[in-house]
Amino acid sequence: MNPQLAGLEDLEGTYVFDLHTSNRAMKLNRFLWKMIGTEARAHFSKDPENAMTEAGLSDTEKDLVRRQDWIGLIRAGASFFVLEKFARVAQRTNLEVYAMMRGETFDEFMATRRVPECR
Amino acid sequence: MAKIIGGIGTSHVPTIGVAYDKGKQDDPAWAPLFKGYKPVADWLAEKKPDALVFFYNDHATTFFFDLYPTFALGIGAQFEIADEGAGKRPLPPMRGNVDLSIHIAESLVNDEFDITTFQDRPIDHGCASPLPLLWPHAPDWPGVIVPIAINVLQFPIPTAKRCYKLGQALRRAIESYPEDLKVVVVGTGGLSHQVHGERAGFNNEEWDMEFLDLFVKNPEELTKLRHADYIRRGGAESVEQIMWLAMRGALEGEIRELHRNYYLATTTAMTVTLYEPA
Repeated sequence: MNPQLAGLEDLEGTYVFDLHTSNRAMKLNRFLWKMIGTEARAHFSKDPENAMTEAGLSDTEKDLVRRQDWIGLIRAGASFFVLEKFARVAQRTNLEVYAMMRGETFDEFMATRRVPECR
Repeated sequence: MAKIIGGIGTSHVPTIGVAYDKGKQDDPAWAPLFKGYKPVADWLAEKKPDALVFFYNDHATTFFFDLYPTFALGIGAQFEIADEGAGKRPLPPMRGNVDLSIHIAESLVNDEFDITTFQDRPIDHGCASPLPLLWPHAPDWPGVIVPIAINVLQFPIPTAKRCYKLGQALRRAIESYPEDLKVVVVGTGGLSHQVHGERAGFNNEEWDMEFLDLFVKNPEELTKLRHADYIRRGGAESVEQIMWLAMRGALEGEIRELHRNYYLATTTAMTVTLYEPA
């Protein structure tokens, strides 16, 4: 256990991205990361199934990507910072992704914010 | 001899870049953010520093997790602004000073700070989100940046104390550079926010204010906190505030806070501060 992180076990709704997670979910994260490239984006848009197979995603991971299950992808080991690159391709804003991770509608989530018009 | 003349703390929220590119400077929801940068931009225009050293973090853009440097210094005459999935931004490449960056690399490594160097790689919103709010970019940026990336994404990440020490080592590097350059050190990130998991949207204004006060008066206290403390108090991604401590290390000693703007609109407590040595 990394002593810098000890004591977070009971912190709900938080998934620390450490080398254990990174190592386990390397293919998924690489697939999401590649969305910063125009060719990878075009390939995924045209042929998502092959793009996922070529990236070596498991059936579970493919299903999470297909359903754009953001919290499921985080639980499967995705780093938010590559997930947000895929969100751009999926035409979702970060605010929309936050709402979905919290299990709320966009309007419900924005109603909890101080300046909901700031988007 | 080069000299550090001040420090800036700033958020690097990507949405700031989006709002900037869409021209939302006067939009009532965004104006409190953009107006809050004006005094800092004015100070920079008056002081005319030659270089801004950016302690920032990459967001798995310049580097991927298969080889993720703990500390990495960019070397180049230009740094392209990265496409992060939504295409290129309408901004010129950021400018660099090859000799200055190399001197800092040599000084840090000889000072036992064995930093990684990178060249010819684009840089993401970690630098590019706040930069146009600080410096004009037309016809071109008025000075150079020295990008120093700190891993705050993939644990283990450096301790708060190690970041502070990196700042101290940076100061020795700057002050041993033979040219009479004026340098401002920028620490980016924060303040309270969490962007992943069901806890996304977490903020803690009380802690943010405590952090800003301790930052000036008693930074040592902040260097003693563990990552878990930052995560619990300010939200998971607020741990990136350890990058402010690198800036604080470079300004070691007493400092004065000349300006503070704090705007918590949706999910990140967007903050900008300006410091000068006391």
